Amino acid sequence: MEQLYKKRWIGYLVFGLSVFLLFCLCFESYIKPPVLVSWLGRWHPLILHFPIVLLVVAVFTSFTQKKVAALLLITATLTALITAISGFLLGLDESQKGDLLFWHQWLGAGVALFAALWYWLETLNYGQHIGTKTLQIILIFLVAITGHYGGSITHGENFLDMPKDKSYAKIPDNPLIYEHIVDRILEQNCVSCHNPNKQKGELVVTSLKDLIKGGENGSSIHAGNPDKSVLLNRLYLPKEDKEHMPPEGKKQLSTTEIEIIKEWISLGASDTLRLNDLKTNQPLAKLVTKMMSPNQLEKWSVLPIVQDSTIQRLESDYVTIRRVFGNTNALSINMYTPPTYNPDLILRLNAIRNNIIELDLSGLPIEAKEIEFVASCTNLESLEIDKTAITDHEIEALNTLTKLKSLKVSETEIGDKSTAVLSNFKNLKNLFIYETNISQNGIDQLQGNNPELRIISGISEELRAAFIQTDSIKKEQ
Amino acid sequence: MEEKISKLESPLKINRRHFFSQLSTGIGSLALGSLLIPDLLSGGAPKAMPNQPLGIPHFAPKAKRIIYLFQAGAPSHIETFDPKPTLIKRMGEDLPDSVRNGQRLTGMSSEQAKFPLMPSAVKYKQYGKSGAWVSDYFPHIGKVADEICFVKSMHTDAINHDPAITFFQTGTQQSGRPSMGSWMSYGLGNENKNLPNFVVLTSKGKGISQGLYSKLWSSGFLDSKHQGVLMRSSKDAVLYLNDPDGLSRSDKRHLLDHVSSLNKIHHVETGDNEIESRIAQYEMAYRMQMSVPDVMDIKKEPQHIIDLYGEDSQVPGTFAANALQARRLAEQGVRFIQLYHQGWDQHANLPNDMAGQAKDVDQASAALIMDLKQRGMLEDTLVVWGGEFGRTNYVQGESFDPKNFGRDHHPRAFSIWMAGGGIKPGISYGQTDEFGYNVVKDPVHVHDFHATIMHAMGLNHEQLTFKDQGRRFRLTDVAGNVINDILT
Repeated sequence: MEQLYKKRWIGYLVFGLSVFLLFCLCFESYIKPPVLVSWLGRWHPLILHFPIVLLVVAVFTSFTQKKVAALLLITATLTALITAISGFLLGLDESQKGDLLFWHQWLGAGVALFAALWYWLETLNYGQHIGTKTLQIILIFLVAITGHYGGSITHGENFLDMPKDKSYAKIPDNPLIYEHIVDRILEQNCVSCHNPNKQKGELVVTSLKDLIKGGENGSSIHAGNPDKSVLLNRLYLPKEDKEHMPPEGKKQLSTTEIEIIKEWISLGASDTLRLNDLKTNQPLAKLVTKMMSPNQLEKWSVLPIVQDSTIQRLESDYVTIRRVFGNTNALSINMYTPPTYNPDLILRLNAIRNNIIELDLSGLPIEAKEIEFVASCTNLESLEIDKTAITDHEIEALNTLTKLKSLKVSETEIGDKSTAVLSNFKNLKNLFIYETNISQNGIDQLQGNNPELRIISGISEELRAAFIQTDSIKKEQ
Repeated sequence: MEEKISKLESPLKINRRHFFSQLSTGIGSLALGSLLIPDLLSGGAPKAMPNQPLGIPHFAPKAKRIIYLFQAGAPSHIETFDPKPTLIKRMGEDLPDSVRNGQRLTGMSSEQAKFPLMPSAVKYKQYGKSGAWVSDYFPHIGKVADEICFVKSMHTDAINHDPAITFFQTGTQQSGRPSMGSWMSYGLGNENKNLPNFVVLTSKGKGISQGLYSKLWSSGFLDSKHQGVLMRSSKDAVLYLNDPDGLSRSDKRHLLDHVSSLNKIHHVETGDNEIESRIAQYEMAYRMQMSVPDVMDIKKEPQHIIDLYGEDSQVPGTFAANALQARRLAEQGVRFIQLYHQGWDQHANLPNDMAGQAKDVDQASAALIMDLKQRGMLEDTLVVWGGEFGRTNYVQGESFDPKNFGRDHHPRAFSIWMAGGGIKPGISYGQTDEFGYNVVKDPVHVHDFHATIMHAMGLNHEQLTFKDQGRRFRLTDVAGNVINDILT
């Protein structure tokens, strides 16, 4: 084995590669390698694994067995040098080197040169010298740090962070459109490839300045002109297009997110614009408000756990209980009129009242007791009590249902007295009052109190009349 | 997500592969286990695999039920929702080969020497805020255009009625796979346990009709409880549902209880799942004896609703009556209500026949949308209107008479519409070329259509599968993309 150290050509090779590496590092800015040579740099991510393992094993054997196998050390040194050179070539592709890449490159070169030094000391039989041992320990640290930096470049700097909740800080009530909304969208979708350390396409999206500066293909955003903004063009390209961003396999932006960026750019891509500066009916304001409203999954994740067995126990032929979807604890309940009605059918649902999100009691002969129960289901978001005997009095009892989004009270005897209570449902989006005693006045009042509320009170008389009169083309008899 | 068969219940449920795979792992682990845990063999049964819940949507659904107004025979897209002014300009000219581009022809027009272009037999108007174009055959549908999403870029693989309608209903051109409604029933379960999940209503216009077979609403390899139930317009909506004279309801209850206990014994012996289905169906029928007459009684509707759907709605067996019926069924929580209106196969006499067909369905289809809307049901009910393919932009046959012509089958482009649950209202999606022959923008294949509808119902079309004969099946087979642009 030891005679390998005597082979001169190996020594020359190690020496030659070391000199070449040093030369590269010193004259980096003058080097323009031919295409084929720079292509060799692409092999860096493959080769790099060899020196890491081989050097660690070499140091390990040198400490445990007092002697390191010549072949092992030679291969380790040579692959370290080749890795460093190929890494250098790969680095040439990047026009601007971030801190990570800078340190990775120099530390990597350090690993290769230290390995070469160790090899040289070993050939001179200084293998057991305290200096060589120190060198080996430094080498291990260098390998670790270089490897870590390299990994951070490929996988992102926070790759090794403890897995944490991906929920970002809550968006403030009156957010800055750029800082709190647009930047967050970019951070969630784009930053992993377009950050100062990994500037794919020479683009960095972490600041407004960098966005305007853009990348290889020019300015990413063109204030006031979404059509000219490369960022948007890339988002809008069909997914099959190679130029589409984010690339295939990565999470895509939602339509809302793309629209937000578009509207923000067409309003001038300002970094001082706040939500309250916009009129409520401006598209951007609507989109941002939509994005800020908490998502259902999150809201429902705090509901008490309900077992399948509980659901089965409470279900009957006339009571259908099901989870809104998947394994959520949010329940949707439908009831149908049984041949003999018993209020207990409803009242026994008390055990799961906090889980009830949707409740349909249409057409059931419900009375005060049942309404009292409904009022206790404070998580209700959708309630259907149409075609029942409820009156204004019962509606008043329902004022505990602050989360209600949709209320169906069609075909009941409720009248204008209920409008005050109905106006108090702040989250109400849809109100169905077809065939009730609520007058046009009452409807106007409701609408006035909550302009966003959709009120469905039946077909307008005009449309109805026109509809019934219109005749299709005469059928030939 | 699919029904995992618990292999412990019955020997019938074990197939050869289960047997061998269980055998090898069984013996191997037994040997290993007995070495490690000496008392392993003394007892303790393995647990069944935890199942993904079936009968629950994969994500929060926008639509809870579907009313599918199927226009059997294939209405011409050129005379419904896809106006083509070029056809007026180039009337009588031969369809350019560059447009036809090798499209195969049916046996009915393959011998034809020329393909003279024929413009729409009827004028178009724009309606509503959306400015949707609707032909004068459908003035009522025009009035609700702002509730509707017109898809003008549908295309299909089949060129003849039976394969095409089978494709639309089951996702494949060959018979035998489960119908859309059965898949929904399998995937979403009952909303109301007293009525079937999947109901079929048929009606027939005066135009040329093609056959409708019960295979279109069959449950295929799915449990037979998911099969569509055909409700008839005559006195007995469901055949053999009523008890014979002299049998009281309590006698019937006793009878069913005894039959059920016998069936259960048989089930324990054989483990055949269909026995369970049969027990469930007897129970369902028993409850339907109460629920069906009530839901089918359209005489209960007030006059203003009857006016809305038109006077036909009081004539049992018409499309209008079925549309009204469909709303009543939807109110009672039936998941999938499939209407078929036959008579759209205008190979000849198109102007006259189509006017008649349109009159049958126009007002009632539009009334259904308005009625659902005023009741707040359009939010979670998806209404679909369309046929199995389109019709050619050229006339069929050798004569060329704008007053009396026909159009042949055309699979490459046609229009359908959807409204309600989870679909964007007041838009048109997709585009055909100026001849109305090829799709030029945003094509929607039948598989895409299925995927999109399932999405609206809260189902992932790639996850709802059923294993049969050694492979997993889906409604969309191995294709289908959700058309997100038409979803809210």
